[in-house]
Amino acid sequence: MTNNLDRVELSLVGRKRSERLFKFYGFLGILIAFLFLITILYSVISQGQKAFFTTFIKVNIFFDSEIIDPQNQRNDEDIRYANFNKIITESLKKKFPENLNKNDSKELSSFISSSEADYLSGFVVKNKDYIGKYKNMWLLASSKIDVIVKNPEMEDLDEEDRLISDKQLGWLNQIRLNKELKKELNKNFFTKADSTEPEQAGIWGSLVGSFLTLLITLVLSFPVAVAAGVFLEELAPKNKFTEFLEVNINNLAAVPSIIYGLLGLAIFLNIMHLPRSAPIVGGMVLALMTLPTIIIATRSSLKSVPPSIREAAIGLGATRFQSVVDHVLPLAIPGIMTGTIIGMSRALGESAPLLMIGMVAFIVDVPTTFLDSSTALPVQIYLWKSTAARGFVELTAAGVIVLLVFLILMNGLAVFIRQKFEKKW
Amino acid sequence: MAEKIKISTKKVNVFYGDKKALENINLEIPEKKVTSLIGPSGCGKSTFIRCLNRMNDTIDICRIEGKIIIDNEDIYSKEIDPVLLRAKVGMVFQKPNPFPKSIFENVAYGPRIHGLAKSDDELDELVTQSLVKAGLFQEIKDRIHEPGTSLSGGQQQRLCIARTIAISPQIILMDEPCSALDPIATAVIEELIDELAKNFTIVIVTHSMQQAARVSQQTAFFHMGNLIEVGRTDQIFSTPSQKKTQDYITGKIG
Repeated sequence: MTNNLDRVELSLVGRKRSERLFKFYGFLGILIAFLFLITILYSVISQGQKAFFTTFIKVNIFFDSEIIDPQNQRNDEDIRYANFNKIITESLKKKFPENLNKNDSKELSSFISSSEADYLSGFVVKNKDYIGKYKNMWLLASSKIDVIVKNPEMEDLDEEDRLISDKQLGWLNQIRLNKELKKELNKNFFTKADSTEPEQAGIWGSLVGSFLTLLITLVLSFPVAVAAGVFLEELAPKNKFTEFLEVNINNLAAVPSIIYGLLGLAIFLNIMHLPRSAPIVGGMVLALMTLPTIIIATRSSLKSVPPSIREAAIGLGATRFQSVVDHVLPLAIPGIMTGTIIGMSRALGESAPLLMIGMVAFIVDVPTTFLDSSTALPVQIYLWKSTAARGFVELTAAGVIVLLVFLILMNGLAVFIRQKFEKKW
Repeated sequence: MAEKIKISTKKVNVFYGDKKALENINLEIPEKKVTSLIGPSGCGKSTFIRCLNRMNDTIDICRIEGKIIIDNEDIYSKEIDPVLLRAKVGMVFQKPNPFPKSIFENVAYGPRIHGLAKSDDELDELVTQSLVKAGLFQEIKDRIHEPGTSLSGGQQQRLCIARTIAISPQIILMDEPCSALDPIATAVIEELIDELAKNFTIVIVTHSMQQAARVSQQTAFFHMGNLIEVGRTDQIFSTPSQKKTQDYITGKIG
């Protein structure tokens, strides 16, 4: 007897050690995952937050009537098409009393974003009183000025590696000294769609595109997948055919997403002639991709409902369908929601199938309907990443932040819905 | 026997796939009496009771031969709708299985799907009456809208009985209703069974021979898929005619 206990004690050392080792590995795993997460978040946020603010330059604009309205007719059309770029350049020149040659004024004019001439022309059309007068205005700086302001370390680079010349840097420092420089919330980023100029480009267009696309995906895939899952799990006879279906659905969940894109291209665009680059087509393609995920989740959560509940209902004379709808399905909803979250998250982050159906285009308008041309968040990020201009680096990171926030909000909503259904009894 | 026969089975064979679970069962069950089915584990008594309301239909590989006649109708004939049959033959399961809903909803579910109550008041009354008949009402009348799963095991089982009698079946099948309960809860259920036998035909599967002796008037002994012996309960337990029955009730097999 004692002998026996001694042996148990001896073996206990090894058993306890392996448990400790396993705990240690588990902890190590968590730690490594956490470090990666921190690294990703740090690199994305430190870059991306820069794009949330943008640089403005204070310019005392002289609305020269000679340039705007030489004939003094105050005609809207004439004013609108006047050379406001020149107005800006001339007003900028006044900041620097030294004589500037033609080349200098060209370099100086590149301080201000090209969108500001339109802004001024719109302003003057509405406020004709200002013609011939001065007004202090904050104008959006061009992207290269913005980049230098946000990344002061770039000032130390050699002239050819820097975005701006030594002369421009000198002017910039003078503007800064005069406190005619400020950083403000980047409204363009949150309200506009894509642009060739980084300071005018925004995420809103692709955010709306993603939203519209996912709405289509959810509306198409969720009811169809739940119905299919319930039918296959609860109502369909178990035979070779349903077995065959089950295997194929499981395989479909693992099919590379680009295949779905090709399918969408072949069927939705080439045969059904639906509009190219439209959220409706993107949503349909992503719905196809999401279907198997939700079907599998539906089936497995139905399977996990104890059979006693089914028996109770059937024993009372409920039909099979009633037992499912009244008792089994409500208990399976939390699991179905989890599957839906996973499917929709994947759909949100998916870009490959969208490339196939043309949602990768350069689109400057925010989509308003399901049929408008549009991009989606991951595609927009990809587009910006592959653009050469330096200003898009920060935009890319900011786009990633927006994508992550969208994802978190979406998942939060789903978790909320899931908990509403999760009765703790 | 003078009493009216409610259920009679003729040459019933049951198969699970290739395996024969029951062989040539001929059994008559009298109306408004308690019939208990006893026998060792795996003898087929649960399989048999689940044939009586066609619960085995839900098992794909289960196949049944022979006739089961309730009120002069073969319940396995094509004209019989199993859903309708289960409204007539209620069932209480081994493990209490209330729906994860309120006590009221548990009892109201059956009447609701069958359209038994015309108004909400009528439904309230029906639910209350069923709970009273199941001997549960006094204990839970203040918390009728609390979850059924919050009750104790014995109360849950009585809730399941209330749920069954709410649809006014003629027959109640009980598949080891007390096996998950403590002795006190069991005694309460046994009293209830006595009471219910005034209005319902009851078939009960039980592991406990004492329980069979206490609650039933007729006892059937199953062994290895065969019906060995059936007779008046006192007779079976005092002077069984078969050797196997004798062995079982004296604890030599089982």
